[in-house]
Amino acid sequence: MANAQLTLSELNLLIKETLDDTFAGLVWVKAEIGEFTVNRNGHCYLELVDIDPVSNQIIARAKATIWSYTFRMMKPYFETTTGQAFGSGLKILVSVKIEFHPLYGMSLNVRDIDPAYTMGDMALKRREIILRLQQDGVFEMNKELELPAVPQRIAIISSPTAAGLQDFLNQLAHNPTEICFYTRLFPATMQGTQTADSIINALEQIYPYEDLFDVVVIIRGGGAQLDLASFDHYELAYHVAQFPLPVITGIGHDKDETIVDLVAHTKMKTPTAVAEFLISGAETFEGRLLEIEAYCSKLLSERLKKENDWLRQTMVRLKQGVRHFVQKEEHQFSLTALLLKNRVPSFLERQENRFIRHRHRLQMKGRGTIRDQIHFLKKKDSDLQQLVSRFMEIRNDHLGKARQNLKNRLSFQLKEQLAKLSFTEEKIRLVDPLEVLKRGYSLTYKNGKLVRTIQGLNEGDQLVTQLHDGKVESEITGQVTPLLQKQESSGLTGNIG
Amino acid sequence: MNPKKMTYKEAVAEIDEILEKIEQEELDVDELSEKVKRVSLLIRFCKEKLHKTSTEVENILREMEE
Repeated sequence: MANAQLTLSELNLLIKETLDDTFAGLVWVKAEIGEFTVNRNGHCYLELVDIDPVSNQIIARAKATIWSYTFRMMKPYFETTTGQAFGSGLKILVSVKIEFHPLYGMSLNVRDIDPAYTMGDMALKRREIILRLQQDGVFEMNKELELPAVPQRIAIISSPTAAGLQDFLNQLAHNPTEICFYTRLFPATMQGTQTADSIINALEQIYPYEDLFDVVVIIRGGGAQLDLASFDHYELAYHVAQFPLPVITGIGHDKDETIVDLVAHTKMKTPTAVAEFLISGAETFEGRLLEIEAYCSKLLSERLKKENDWLRQTMVRLKQGVRHFVQKEEHQFSLTALLLKNRVPSFLERQENRFIRHRHRLQMKGRGTIRDQIHFLKKKDSDLQQLVSRFMEIRNDHLGKARQNLKNRLSFQLKEQLAKLSFTEEKIRLVDPLEVLKRGYSLTYKNGKLVRTIQGLNEGDQLVTQLHDGKVESEITGQVTPLLQKQESSGLTGNIG
Repeated sequence: MNPKKMTYKEAVAEIDEILEKIEQEELDVDELSEKVKRVSLLIRFCKEKLHKTSTEVENILREMEE
């Protein structure tokens, strides 16, 4: 045990000898680049790790170096072959010499690299990511968006310091047809491990202003042409694919397409190409406007020509029609004139004849009529005279008769009235009370009242008797005896006296 | 619709509709002049929108806070 006691230096030397013996030659090692730095002299210092794919834990770690003369050759070779910047996160297959330094410990000196391994790994990773996006159903989503007729309002995701950005902005601002573009930069880191998160962050900033923009462009230019692994990123691709605005990429790599390029609406190689794409889109639209304008004026002039032609034709037809009509009328008119010319003299003659005839007839008839009328009047006159004298005779006759009649009737009535008068005188004379009294009748009064009955007469009553030539006063001495009914008055009269 | 509030797409859709009517000769001459005026208004609007910087849009983008 005591013999086995070694100093650290002795131990380290022993380890070095053992390692040199065991790993006399170079060894091919598969590992992932963990940390990675290049110093001023161009020497490259790395940390190689092994990560458990299940637990994602580092299960092995080793320092490695690439001396500058090797790295100078190896880096371009690797990068041009893989299209991928040499850096952390890459899986590499390297040929190493295991070295052990008593002071610095073990390190792996990289002598060679096999890019095919990295490519295979990358391709595998890419395929996995693409498959996953397809399974998520988002792979085609951004492509299905409609690119606006004029992508005029542009949200830019880029690094503010990138040379490509300035070119892009200049190109848009000074486009030949002077189309107006509106841009707004959303800054993001465009290389290194922060790239994906940074771009996702920028997309999230744009998202609330979706309505203010027509497209999103993700551009990166100049300098670092590589580092494509940052864009073969599931999360980033997932966000880009589902973004509600069309995304146009100009990541500045013309060899391979990254997954972000694959899911973007349109992939352009460089920022310049993106600017050209946008400008040409607007120009195409303007070209279409000009075409429409020309087409519209063509349609219009065609239509107007057509209408004009129609008008002209109609005018011609109208003129023809009018001329025809006028001709026809003229013909008719001259015909009529001719006819008239021929007919008028004979008509006039006929009319004159008729007139003469009529006048003659009229004269004849007129004379006859006047004669007839005179005759008629004369006859009427004599008739009237006869009628009047006869009427007068009859009237005179009537009058004579009536006069005679009246005379007769008057004398007859006079005689009759005279007879009636003497008869009446006789009658009046007969009924005169004096005459009655003369014929022997008397009137008896008691107390000045005429006595008509024996009733109320008593013995001793004073009576006055009126006769035609005087009065006698007497007194009732005898008895008052009523008569038989028929001889009442004579009985009474008999007792007086 | 007021052309100022229309998108390019809406403007072009309206123009296309009018042109089709003109092609089909569905319009009489009076309507034709009305519609042609509308087309030229829409085209003018689109051209202006393409070339004339809208301070309104610029201001909105400038004032957008992060």
